[in-house]
Amino acid sequence: MCRSDVAAAVALALACTLSHAGPGTGKAPTWPGIGRPATPAEIRAWDIDVRPDFKGLPRGQGSVARGQDIWESKCASCHGVFGESNEVFTPIVGGTTRKDVQTGRVEALAKGTEAQRTTMMKLSTLSTLWDYIHRAMPWNNPRTLGVDDTYAVTAYILNLAEILPGDFVLSDRNIREVQALLPNRDGKSPRHGLWLPTGKPDVRNVACMRNCAPDVKIASSLPDHARGSHGNLADQDRNRGGLRGQVTAASATAAARGGEFAAVKELTGKAACLGCHGVDRKIVGPGFNQVSEKYRAKDNAEAYLAGKIKAGGQGIWGQVPMPPSVTISDADAALLARWILKGTPE
Amino acid sequence: MADPMRIRAKIEGDKTVVRVLMAHEMETGQRRDSTGKVVPAHFIQEVTATHNGKTVLAAQWGPAISKNPYLQFQFAGAKAGEKIAIAWVDNKGDKRTDEATIAA
Repeated sequence: MCRSDVAAAVALALACTLSHAGPGTGKAPTWPGIGRPATPAEIRAWDIDVRPDFKGLPRGQGSVARGQDIWESKCASCHGVFGESNEVFTPIVGGTTRKDVQTGRVEALAKGTEAQRTTMMKLSTLSTLWDYIHRAMPWNNPRTLGVDDTYAVTAYILNLAEILPGDFVLSDRNIREVQALLPNRDGKSPRHGLWLPTGKPDVRNVACMRNCAPDVKIASSLPDHARGSHGNLADQDRNRGGLRGQVTAASATAAARGGEFAAVKELTGKAACLGCHGVDRKIVGPGFNQVSEKYRAKDNAEAYLAGKIKAGGQGIWGQVPMPPSVTISDADAALLARWILKGTPE
Repeated sequence: MADPMRIRAKIEGDKTVVRVLMAHEMETGQRRDSTGKVVPAHFIQEVTATHNGKTVLAAQWGPAISKNPYLQFQFAGAKAGEKIAIAWVDNKGDKRTDEATIAA
């Protein structure tokens, strides 16, 4: 990425500066007044990726049995006890056979006999699975699984997929052997245009040079009543560059106006509420407007909702459970409850 | 012979929650293959769960149940360390019985 012939985007130039100034190169930064070199500790904290050849994989180990304990306490609520659930996300295991483990190609994928593609059918590099769990799971509390627990969960998923036996202990020393057992390890194809720099694209976007349409006609657009469905797009897009979000609602963000609920926007972002709850509609969980309608008139509604936000729940709005929110303080939970009950004022 | 079932049984409060994932094609008999021939029906017809020799669940299933069925039920009166056995019989007479230990 850091070749000098690359067009000089500012962000890229900065990235190059940082990596040149990193440990090992011994060069001092050559951009006085702009930032400082990242410290080795900062780079270590940030550099968590694991590559297909397992470069970057930390040492550790985890057993299938330990993985089952973690799975059933932290993962099963969304992915199903057997990784089979199709309720919130697509299933993780299923669709692979013992023959696939031998051949390295998933037959059901080639023949299209499975109605639903699972993670295990498509996965071709084990590093991807390990890295993804390590950096992004559990969804409501990412990066809380340690290295050994990540090995354990990875081992358990592979056991659910009938690739590893129940007494297996996955570690950095044997992960390459397990890679050689993945059902779709040879399923990746470089025979398409985006893989190689010299590849031919599969679409052809040719600029019109003659007899071109004089004007662009907009054939359809969002009706006025629907334009604000996702809030004000102008506030949500980045505020630089040529493409800006359209103004679709009254401007000025909640934070700029201050008031009692100024902190709510950051809170809902931090706790990932809006991944499952819409402000004015049901997504996976109930919309905040539905919650408000149901509990507004009840006694102790605020304390009840604050408790639910903290502890999670299941069964009142459907079978998909809400995980507990361990990162939210009692005061913040009460603030969120009050905000929801008041009809989510901006 | 069909693949083994996956069974998890766990005491939750005063009940035992049992979760079972069965490996079965569950063909409805309504589908046609690429040559236009009807794929013959093949589905689980009977499911029983046994604890200490006593049947705690008996079910009659039909072709409306999905492929690789997931079954969850609960029953009272079991202790951790005891066994729960699940058995199915399909319309071709194939059978499968699997056992799991109830966890605390």
